[in-house]
Parts: sequence; C-alpha cells; structure tokens
Amino acid sequence: LNVWELIIQQPLTNVLIVISHVFGGNFGVAIIILTIIVNLALLPLTLGQIKSAKKMQELQPKLADLQKKFGKDRQRLAQEQMKLYKESGVKPAGCALQMLIQMPVWIALYQSVVLALAAVPEGLLNLARYLYPWPVVFSSIPLNPYFLGMDLAQPNMILAVLVGVGMWVQQKMSTVPSDDPRTASQNQMMTWMMPLLFAFMAMSFASGLALYWFVNSLFRIILQYRMTGWGGLRRQKPVDTEAGKKYIKFEPTESKKMTIRDKEGQVIITDKESLKKSQKPGFLDRFKFTKGNDQDNQDQEK
Amino acid sequence: MVKLRKLKIVGLILLVIAAILCLGIFGFSCVSGMTPIGWSGGTVANNILYVGSMEGRLVSINLADQSRQWAETLKLPAQGGIFGSCSSMLSCGGGTSRVPIYGTPVVSDDLVYLAGYNGRIYAYNTTNLASRWIYPRDGYLSSFVGSLIIDQGKLYVGCSDGWIYCLDAITGDFISGYQTGDKIWGTPTIADNTLLIGSFDKTIYAFNTSDLTLKWTYTTEGSIIAKPLVYNGVVYIGSFDKSMYAINLADGTLKWKYDGATNWYWTQPLVVNNMLYAANLDGYMYVLDIETGSPIKVFDNTEILSVSAIASQPVAFENYVFFANHDGIIYKIDTTTQTITQLAALTGTITSPLIVYEGNIYFQTQDIVIQSVNIENGAVASISLISG
Repeated sequence: LNVWELIIQQPLTNVLIVISHVFGGNFGVAIIILTIIVNLALLPLTLGQIKSAKKMQELQPKLADLQKKFGKDRQRLAQEQMKLYKESGVKPAGCALQMLIQMPVWIALYQSVVLALAAVPEGLLNLARYLYPWPVVFSSIPLNPYFLGMDLAQPNMILAVLVGVGMWVQQKMSTVPSDDPRTASQNQMMTWMMPLLFAFMAMSFASGLALYWFVNSLFRIILQYRMTGWGGLRRQKPVDTEAGKKYIKFEPTESKKMTIRDKEGQVIITDKESLKKSQKPGFLDRFKFTKGNDQDNQDQEK
Repeated sequence: MVKLRKLKIVGLILLVIAAILCLGIFGFSCVSGMTPIGWSGGTVANNILYVGSMEGRLVSINLADQSRQWAETLKLPAQGGIFGSCSSMLSCGGGTSRVPIYGTPVVSDDLVYLAGYNGRIYAYNTTNLASRWIYPRDGYLSSFVGSLIIDQGKLYVGCSDGWIYCLDAITGDFISGYQTGDKIWGTPTIADNTLLIGSFDKTIYAFNTSDLTLKWTYTTEGSIIAKPLVYNGVVYIGSFDKSMYAINLADGTLKWKYDGATNWYWTQPLVVNNMLYAANLDGYMYVLDIETGSPIKVFDNTEILSVSAIASQPVAFENYVFFANHDGIIYKIDTTTQTITQLAALTGTITSPLIVYEGNIYFQTQDIVIQSVNIENGAVASISLISG
C-alpha cells in the first residue's frame, strides 16, 4: 500500500466495515454514520467556510455602493473592492481554498465506500489488501449492499434525484447574492451545474456513493441553516421604507377587489414592485376616465 | 487587473469541475477496482487449449501450431437509458463494454462449456466453437463468477443470485436448483455423488448429485469463495475467516481447523505427498498435515522474496507445487525437500488459475495474452488472445 492508502484509505475502509458490523451488517447505515463522523471532524473547516461566505454576504451592500460609485472605472473599482475585503478581513478565494483542502478527505471517503462495497470480483480481491487483521473485519465481508430496498452497489434513480435536489438546495443556500450581473450569472451557473453534474454521476455509479453525497448535502444544509438561515433560498427582502413617504400596499387578489369599492381604507406600506403596480391605473379608474372622456366629447359635440 | 480577476474566477470554476471529473473517473472506477475484467483460466483437451478471453469470448488454441479460433462475442444485457452507456465510457479501458469471464471453460465430449459474468451459460462445439445452446434462452441470470462442473451428463454451477443450477449438459434444459442464503462466486466439486459448494452466507453445502437434495451443511465464520478439495473422504476448504477447514465428507462434521493465516483463502488447496498446500491472500503458502491440520511448513517472507496475494489457483505436477502471486512472480516448491525457487517473473498481476500441460504452465494475463512458462527452466512464451 502507498502512503495515501496506508494513512487515509485503509483506516476509513476498516472503520466503515466495523460500523457496518455494529449495525447488523447494514451498509447504508454505516455510510450515513461515517459521513456524519467525517463531517464532524471537518467541522472547523466547514464553519470557517460558511462564516467567510456570511461575511461576503454582509459586504454586498458596500460592494454595491462601490459598483455605483466606481462602475465606470473598472481598475479603481477593483482596487476599492480589494481594499474593502482587506479591511473586513474577507478572503474571496478563501471559500474555494477551504473546499479544495477538504477534497482529499472526500476522495478517500468515496474510495472507501466503493472499496467496501466490493461489487465486482476484482473489487473484493482488492479489498483483501486493505483489511486490518481484526476478526470482525474479516468475517463481515462481503457487506450486505441492500439499504431500504436499494442495492447500494447499483445506480439508483431515486437517490440520484435526491443528490441533485440536495446539492441544489445546499448551493442555493450558500450562494452569496450579488448585484454584479457577471458574478450573479456565475453563481447561477454553479447553482445548477454542480447538482446536475453530481446527479448525472450518481446515476452512473454505485448508489452507495449517492447515499454518501445526499447525507453530506443534508449535513451541510442543516449546518448552513443553523449559521445563516435559509440564505439564498429565502425570498428577496422588501426594500427599506423611507420616512415621510407614503406607499400603497396591494393585498393579494381579494384586497384588489376591495380597492375598487373603497380606496380610502388601504394600508400604506409596500415594496418596490407593488409600488410600480400601484402607479398603473386600475380597471375601474380606466373605465371612469374613458367615461369622462366620452362625456366631454358629448359636451363638445353639443 | 479586472482581466486577471476574471481569469481567476474562470480558473477556479474549471479547477472545481476538473477535480470532480477526476474524482469520478479515477476515484471511482480505476483506483478502486469497480470494473470487472475477468480472470478465466485455461482447459486443455486433445492438445487444444480453451480459455475465456478478457475480450469476452471463448478462444481455442491449437498448442501444436498455435492456431486460434474465436467463438462469437458474449452479449451484454441491455443497459437502461443513456446512463448505462455513460458508465461504460467512464470506466477504465472500456471494461464494461465486454462481458468479463471468470470461470474456466470445461470440456465434455464434443462440447465446451462456459459461464459468463453476463448471467448466461454457453455450450459450444469443440471443433468450430459454434454455439450449441445458451441458458437461459431468453434474458439473463445474475453474474457467474465461479466455474461450472460436468458430471454424468449434468452441468452444475453456482450463481450470484445464490442459486445452484443443475442443467442437462446436452440440451441446456433446467433440471433442478437450490437457493443458498447469499451469492455464490465459488466453483463446485463433486466426489462420491456429493456436490460441494461454498457460499457468501459462510456455509459449505453438500448435495446429492442425483436430485440436488441437501445432505449436510457446515457454517464457518466467513464467506466462502474457494473451491473445496475432497481427498480420502475429507473435504478441505478455506474461508474468509482466515481458517482452513477439514470436514468429513460423509456427515459434515469438523475434523480439524487451522487458523494460522492472516487473510482470506481464495483458492482450492492441493494435496501432494500427503501434505495439504494452502495458498492464502496474505501471500504465504501453508503446508499442513492432512490428518491433524498442524503446520508442517510455512513459506513466508523469509523464503518468498516478493510477498503478495495468491489469488491464482496453484497447480501440482509430479512432486512440485507451482503458484503465482499478485506481483507476477511464479514460484516452484519441491514437495520432497520443501524448498522454494523462483521460476519466472512477469510484469503485471496474475489472478488467472494455473494449469500444467506437457511441461508448461499456462495462464492468462491482463494484456489478453496466454502465457506459457516452462516448468524446468522458466522460459516464458506468449500467445495473444486478441481477435482480429
């Protein structure tokens, strides 16, 4: 065995087998528990990543101001943005760097899941090289690949869809909204590309991996929710109201009907969009206006 | 500066995608042995060697002139949708686009039989390799990993669905079957009208060959993939619990158990000069007393220069035992003096069973070649199995 296999892959594989044995040979439960253990071990890194993203989110209004102020001078804008990042202690590449640091652990975990599954004869023969000389490990192999009626050694459509959905939710929650159209477009691309790519891969490989991905996403979603709430999944907040200004609030459809009967009693707080709508003439207003025109025309004719 | 930033972002995205792709292609497929390739051994009958090639077809080689014949390529079960083909593309070397063959062909009368990883059993004419029958005629069973066996006009084979199938060897018609508790990847043995086979459910089963009714079972502490050996009314079989068992053929009672190895027993043991030679995946060859199971000699790392797993079926010839290991080294043990010598060293792993025929050892290697090694001087020659 090489260093990678000796230090990372072998211990992970044996732990996976032992967990499976402890839970009555249930490999699905073993994958779930190992995923949680590994995620807990990487918690400091993950928390750092989420905190960094949160800081970035908090900087967005300031970044938007800079965009407005120096939008035409790209060089100056970049300088000011870097200055702002520096002052706030945010490293824009930090999130990606932390993700890359975690990559080897994920790879090892994937490989351990595949190894322990030993779905094909070569895989089983290969697995023998990785086993510790513990009786429990030797007698537990081959592991039972069935979990909730799914063969974890075969691709599974349901799990693949769950992987895609889970990853999309996770991506959406962790994406920092941006006023910069280019960044927003890149974020949008990543939000869709990553889940699609992983869902596609989940449909092509042993579903034990898909289970791992799904549990991993679920863990990250819970963590993200605890730290930042629903994040990008939340609907856009209404813009702040300015003192001294009057706004018209449009209630849903039923309230609009009331508008026709009694305009005076309307509540006066709204968001930008509703305000725009409120400025358009209502159906009844148009009717009255048209009628008035007709009356004028009639008078003129007289 | 803005351009630089743009480049950084694009580079980062590309890096993430590339990492994921690497993860997918190398992490899952090649590194961890997800792709079935096959390790069929050879059978010689009438100076013709039959082998299931890693191209997924039966090949016959006339050993006199090395002329070769290929049977029709085994067919893969239809894979659903685009994802079946995608997973083929993502695997190493297109391994899943051909049918792996693990079992060694068996020749009986004018037919040669083969069980494929695609879940089908094939019978071919020995002369022209034309197909005689296929079982099942429609559809596919689960994968066959072990070899089949022919006895008194009946074909017996264990399947990954846990069943032992008994077919009419002439027509391919189903006669009887028995379902064990888990997958069967081992090869059966027949002795005294008793069929013996190990299963992943950790049990060795003994059946009456006449009607496949159960005679007895013996449960070990690990799964069984090795082929049982019957010698003087005793069944010798190794298990994944790192133990070698001697079980009385008549009633299935334990005679002795040896648990000195440190890994799985993958192959059938051999008896030479009243000594049991048991190869283990720990890379050692254990020589045991067949009466008591006590170790007489262990060929370990003090005598084997390159210790690696022995997954290839060893073979005995006269007073010698030959075995090959994962590192591609072939060793020769003189059973009279209990000395070991290195016969030949090949590049690449050897997992295919060894056979001896007219002074040469034959086995298949992963470059789709039949290797022959002279048992006297270790001279190596090769015959390609690649068609076309």
